Amino acid sequence: MQNPYIPYPVVVDKIITEVDTKDIKTFRFKFVNPEDEAKYAYIPGQFGELSIYGKGESPIGIASSPTQKGYVEFTVQKAGVVTQALHEMEEGTLMGLRGPLGNSWPLEFLEGKNIVIVGGGFAFTTLRSLINYMIFGDNRKRFGNITVIYGARNPGLLLYKDELIEWQKRSDLNINVTVDKGDATWTGREGFVPAVCKDVAPSKENAVAVICGPPVMIRFTLPVFFDLGFSKENIITSLEMRMKCGIGKCGRCNVGNKYVCKDGPVFSLAELDKLTPEY
Amino acid sequence: MEKRLIKKDALAGIAKKVAEEFLVWAPVKKEDNVLFEPLQKDGEPFFAYLNSKNAPKNVFFPHTEALMKFTRTEKGMVFSSDENKADSSVLFGVRPCDTHSFALLDKLFDQEKYQDAYYITKRQNTTVISIACVKPPYASCFCTSVDGAPVASEGADILLTDIGSDYLVELITPKGEKLAKYFGDAKADAAAETRKNEIAAKAIEAIKSKIPAHEVKPILDVNFDNPFWNTIHGKCLACGTCTYMCPTCHCFDISDEVKGGDGVRIRSWDSCMFPMFTKETSGHNPRVSQKERWRQRTMHKFKYYVDNFNAIACVGCGRCVMSCPVNIDIRKVVEDISKL
Ligand SMILES: Cc1cc2nc3c(=O)[nH]c(=O)nc-3n(C[C@H](O)[C@H](O)[C@H](O)COP(=O)(O)OP(=O)(O)OC[C@H]3O[C@@H](n4cnc5c(N)ncnc54)[C@H](O)[C@@H]3O)c2cc1C
Ligand code: SF4
Ligand code: SF4
Ligand code: FES
Repeated sequence: MQNPYIPYPVVVDKIITEVDTKDIKTFRFKFVNPEDEAKYAYIPGQFGELSIYGKGESPIGIASSPTQKGYVEFTVQKAGVVTQALHEMEEGTLMGLRGPLGNSWPLEFLEGKNIVIVGGGFAFTTLRSLINYMIFGDNRKRFGNITVIYGARNPGLLLYKDELIEWQKRSDLNINVTVDKGDATWTGREGFVPAVCKDVAPSKENAVAVICGPPVMIRFTLPVFFDLGFSKENIITSLEMRMKCGIGKCGRCNVGNKYVCKDGPVFSLAELDKLTPEY
Repeated sequence: MEKRLIKKDALAGIAKKVAEEFLVWAPVKKEDNVLFEPLQKDGEPFFAYLNSKNAPKNVFFPHTEALMKFTRTEKGMVFSSDENKADSSVLFGVRPCDTHSFALLDKLFDQEKYQDAYYITKRQNTTVISIACVKPPYASCFCTSVDGAPVASEGADILLTDIGSDYLVELITPKGEKLAKYFGDAKADAAAETRKNEIAAKAIEAIKSKIPAHEVKPILDVNFDNPFWNTIHGKCLACGTCTYMCPTCHCFDISDEVKGGDGVRIRSWDSCMFPMFTKETSGHNPRVSQKERWRQRTMHKFKYYVDNFNAIACVGCGRCVMSCPVNIDIRKVVEDISKL
């Protein structure tokens, strides 16, 4: 019997400071035992428990794509005890990683469809995983048009800046990056995510919207997609709840009869409608 | 199934004999309470008890247990040992409502995908001997409303039923049969079995407290927002006693403790009745008040568990009813819901 509470040993291989405020960093981990990488086979949308012995664990969405071999990445905002300790770590430090946990973005459902990805703030992490997965090699053929709408408060808060530039160069991707307010050097779009969605107006035909962001963004973005004619089955999102075990045992993260850690975190709006609005 | 008879006064001696080979958890008197504790060499089991103050779930799911140990190195704290281990033990003399709770906890901790190694190891290494309730111990017992009975064996490996001068011993599972040698060689005859069935029927009759536990499920399905939920929690102290006493409550916390260069990751019981339980780092709390927490506790037992495992997560032991400092009674809550 595999003990799901024991983390895989990992080493912090690389730390990338993503934003000007320095409170969001991407951590690249390598497995201490190379054979663990295969056991950690994941799908975009899943999460892991970052385990710092002596401090505790934090559930964090997997930011890398399974097509990126040799490491796993997580983008973490400094928030409390565990994430603070993580931010103080140096490359070469040993720690633990559990998972992969939860369901995932519904890849089979997305295949053959036009995909609209909407992200706000640092909730962009597992969307980045999905994008990198979809555009990798032959994978790209399995999906229709890919439209990305991603916003941050200001240019300094955008994640994965280098990748955004690379993505914008591709002809098979429609990338719309926006900031609430630009600065002296910003030449891109300005405006809130919901307004940009309205402007870009992706077609509902054979399309699925995958939306992830802070609650206010979601609240104002959903009506835009309803107006565009997207059904609740075709709008997908990811939930966050306080978690401990990550495997549906500790009783902490349920929304109605579903555990966000085990049955989620990804749900369609149609599925969420069937649950209690307690999240 | 192998069935035997033992003299009633032989039981304590048998428990002590078993304790020479295995760790035996038995009901023992502690001040004015009866608790399941490891039977000490000179200890005396107390089988004339009503039910134990605390649920015996702590044998499989301890109040606090070490999950793993870790140690400091130059490159950070690293894993040092998996603390998943359990002695071969016998849980001796559990009431049928509590053995029923083990069957319910199995559904959660022993799922196909995620197996809770710590619970399962303890469960596998423990043989459960149940003593039927020939006379229901408390007026608040309501096992018959929640798919249980005072003489029932779900979750037990051996069932003992007091049939007068003897106990009828039923060795139900292969695990139970392995302890056969302790229960003499007097085979039970058909008369003993008839007697047991009569006693079981009478015991069911004697349970007077009834709740519409099955009837409320379809009502709970559609009444998440009913104003009724405002009426339960008013006097609740959020003390968590109800959930700590409950044999089916399984919520837990995981935390790390460090002393010098070494540390241990432990899990300990937690409670959905505590405000901090669901509070997120951002300050957001999806269950903002005791109202939502009481709704969660009720829904979890009478709806969510039924949805997920097709079983009600209450065994009718009445512990929460007897222990709540402000007398909130889950039987009344369920009764009221049935009238919504
Ligand atoms: C599915 C999922 C995906 C996520 N993805 C990301 C992501 O990609 N990036 C990201 O930055 N964040 C993400 N989060 C949020 C992230 O998990 C939290 O910000 C993080 O767990 C905060 O942990 P902390 O230790 O820093 O905070 P703390 O508030 O210090 O909490 C640490 C732990 O200590 C305990 N604790 C703290 N205070 C108390 C107290 N007063 N009483 C009792 N216990 C206490 C809690 O058990 C808590 O789990 C995600 C969350 C979920 C559920
Ligand atoms: S809810 Fe109350 S009566 Fe039911 S099993 Fe738990 S403690 Fe016993
Ligand atoms: S025992 Fe009573 S007061 Fe304490 S949390 Fe439970 S219902 Fe509330
Ligand atoms: S985190 Fe424990 S049940 Fe979901």
